[in-house]
Amino acid sequence: MTDTASGTNGTRYGEADWYEQELPRAIRPHRSHPIRTLVLLSIILVSAALIGISSAYLMIEREQPLNAVTIGSWRAYPKAGTSEADPYSVAIYTRGAVIPLASGEGLAMVAREDDRGHLLDPTCIYRISGQTPAARLWTLTVTDGNGRLVETLPGRVHLDSQNLLRETDGTFVINAASRPHSGNWLPLAASANASDGLRFVLRLYDAPVTTGAALDGVSLPVIERQGCP
Amino acid sequence: MTLSPRFTLTLTIVAILFLATIIHILVVLSIPLNVRHSAYDNVATHGPDRQFNLLPDVHPGEEALPDLDPAMKHAACRFQLSDGPVLFDASIPTSFWSIGLFNSAGEAIYSLNNRTAGAERLSMLVLTSPQLSILRENPPENLEDLIVIETGEISGFALLRAYTPDEARADVVDRALQNASCGTIG
Repeated sequence: MTDTASGTNGTRYGEADWYEQELPRAIRPHRSHPIRTLVLLSIILVSAALIGISSAYLMIEREQPLNAVTIGSWRAYPKAGTSEADPYSVAIYTRGAVIPLASGEGLAMVAREDDRGHLLDPTCIYRISGQTPAARLWTLTVTDGNGRLVETLPGRVHLDSQNLLRETDGTFVINAASRPHSGNWLPLAASANASDGLRFVLRLYDAPVTTGAALDGVSLPVIERQGCP
Repeated sequence: MTLSPRFTLTLTIVAILFLATIIHILVVLSIPLNVRHSAYDNVATHGPDRQFNLLPDVHPGEEALPDLDPAMKHAACRFQLSDGPVLFDASIPTSFWSIGLFNSAGEAIYSLNNRTAGAERLSMLVLTSPQLSILRENPPENLEDLIVIETGEISGFALLRAYTPDEARADVVDRALQNASCGTIG
């Protein structure tokens, strides 16, 4: 250090010298840059607002509440739509004005992917086979990527357990395609683009598995992609 | 004190992330308070309060309420317990029906289906605790047969779902839902 910095000599305690790069940065006196500080603060505010709002939007728009129970391709949200729901589910459900299937009624399970983890595509043909957990009644519904029903060739958008052809061992095979199929045909959207998205919604009514814990180890239908145009 | 550029950058990023987290949380928490059409509001568009209004069949593009099952027929009734207890009464000739009670925020309060109801006929009384104490002093004869739900929620709605196996059954189910009552006791 020089005597300029130590300031022992009052006459040389000049401001002009004070900013010389001789002091370690940490103890160098602060020289204010109002414009620079303002710009920095606005960058912080604007980018924080952008990141905060867009991440919230993405979480809500994804429509996938937390606390999911995942079995194969299927996801259930037993807590969503109850007073125990997490804030994301509350936001998703109230924003969509969705009336949930209450636990005493049944359990809805949603598939967005096939068994290999590919996103479902409404232009493809899928084979849904296997069995469902015990339930007095179940329905399988086709929706687009936003959960809305779609126009199909026969006008029907669902299959239910009471109007289903089964194998002798109680299992079933469902063909989901936009064109007619023999056997159990679940019609997909008559005219759809891959970007419209596809979801299968399996609603189990009066099922013992309406609580999350009971879902462990149950077998659900497997969704296999058979082919795409 | 002057900060090194690297330290300033780190501090800026930490500040951005911290603020972003707060904003994220505020946005998520504020969404339920700022929805334009809640389920409770939507139910009111299908008819007056305190009666079961049959919702139109669930078809693509004309869904009465979001996320309903196309295999079912639905009827909804909105009620305010400040007007007195609500008595639900319905007899639906189908292999499966269920009723869910929801508060004005759309959260399920209570639900049952035709097996758990224990009878073919739905007769359920929903009231607040003070109303129940008043009712106990002078109980109606059929109180034993009713499913009594005591709740702290003042306003809410009920959604009745009835399975329609085929078109032949549709008219019968429709009529049963139209005749379902969501009225006062006595």
